[in-house]
Parts: sequence; C-alpha cells; structure tokens
Amino acid sequence: MIEFPNELEILITREFEAPIQLVFDVFTQEEHVRNTFAPFGEEMKVCSIDLRVGGDYHFVMVTDDGTEMSFRGTYLEVEPPTRSVQTWLFEGWPDAEAVETMDLHETDGVTTLAWKLAFKDQAGRDHMTKYDGLEANFDNVERYLRSLLVA
Amino acid sequence: MARSSTTADVFNAIAEAHRRDILDALIGGEKAVGTIVDDLSMSQPQVSKHLRVLSEVGLVASRADGRRRLYRLEPARLRPFHEWLAKYEQAMHDRLDRVDDYLKDLQRQGETP
Repeated sequence: MIEFPNELEILITREFEAPIQLVFDVFTQEEHVRNTFAPFGEEMKVCSIDLRVGGDYHFVMVTDDGTEMSFRGTYLEVEPPTRSVQTWLFEGWPDAEAVETMDLHETDGVTTLAWKLAFKDQAGRDHMTKYDGLEANFDNVERYLRSLLVA
Repeated sequence: MARSSTTADVFNAIAEAHRRDILDALIGGEKAVGTIVDDLSMSQPQVSKHLRVLSEVGLVASRADGRRRLYRLEPARLRPFHEWLAKYEQAMHDRLDRVDDYLKDLQRQGETP
C-alpha cells in the first residue's frame, strides 16, 4: 500500500512472508540489494553498503538506454533487525533530498515493512511520484524472498 | 498475509476495467506513466500497479527513455483471447442469420396481404 500522508512524504507498507532478520538483510546487504534494487531489471553498476551509523551506501543502475541512475546516502540509525534510517539522494534531481526510514516488525512469521521517504521539499517528492519504479522495487523483494525461502 | 502474485493470464489481466482503459490509452502509441495518469485521471501508483500486471502477462512492454519509462502495447499477446472469442463468432453469425431470415419472412408476409 502506498500513501502520501502530506506533501513531503511517501509511505509504503508491505507484508512479507519471511522472518524479520532475512527481510532486514535483503534491504541492507550488498549481495541481496544487488538482486532486488533495480525496479525493471536494470544493470547494477555500483552496489556498496557500509552498514553502520555514519557509513555510506551508493547504488548505481544503468537503464537499457544507457542512462545512469545514482542513489547515495549515509546511515543515521542502524538497529538490526527492526530499523534503519538513512539520508537519501538521487543524483539525477538535484533537489530531491530525503530521509529514508525503514521499520520492520514480525508477527506470526509475517514481517511488516513501513518504509518512508521524507523529502526536504515538495518538488523532490513530486519528482519521485512521477517515477514508476517505486513499488516495483518492493515487488522484486517479495519475489526474491519467496525464491530464497523455496530454495 | 503477503499478497499472492496476480494470475499470469491475459484473461485475468483484461478482466479489470482500468486495465482495459490503459490498453486503450496505449493504442495510439507508447506513453510514459505520467501521460497515462493525465489521460485517465487515475493516480500514479494505481496506473503503475496495473502496468505491472499488464507487463507480467506481456500485454505491454516498456523501455527506458532517460529517467522515464515508455510503455507500449503488445497486441499479439491478445491472441489467446482472440482465439477464444473466434469460437463464438460463428455461433453469433448463425444466430444473426436466423434473425435476418425471420425479419425477411416478416417483411414478405407484410408485402403479400
């Protein structure tokens, strides 16, 4: 489910049939992010994560027409397996700066994700709402988790 | 419960009225999600969700265009639906022929008092 609680935020809630530690790892470990980040199967050119407060992450994907999309940020809170907060910057839109918050909790083997992107200004958020890869990323995670759990 | 994936089936994909509207919107050529949003007065997440279902069954394909994605119709994937419908076309024609005969009969009776 996707919501726009105010003009600065995007909130996505998802449930995954997977244990919380695995869901946390899929969002925070390079080996997993490499397999799930690109919404339309774009090539992941860079995928580096330094998962600690003050550590940086950087993801670059290349679309099929050769455009590079670069996302980077710094971890502000790292509390495995329930929460991480990090700055979020998409380098294609200079104004689109945000703080990304991931909260997880598990009930009866189902892990609920509350993912929030809070932009500095409305222009940044409006950029992002025109971009249609937003939920595809979480669909990828859902599919990927299923493949891990079946294997 | 996690949402189960949508049935990967053309019939299921076109059973939803909004998804048929999106296919209609793409008849004229490829479009970015924002254009479809404006054309159909649907929300962007809603359009994206339907485009994903349509992509999964192959009824639409997409390509990158800078930071946008452009979606296009893949009408050949409607073939299973077309083949299914074709079976009923003959039956429909037969029935219409009978209606036609009946009307002609009525007309003839009207002509000969």
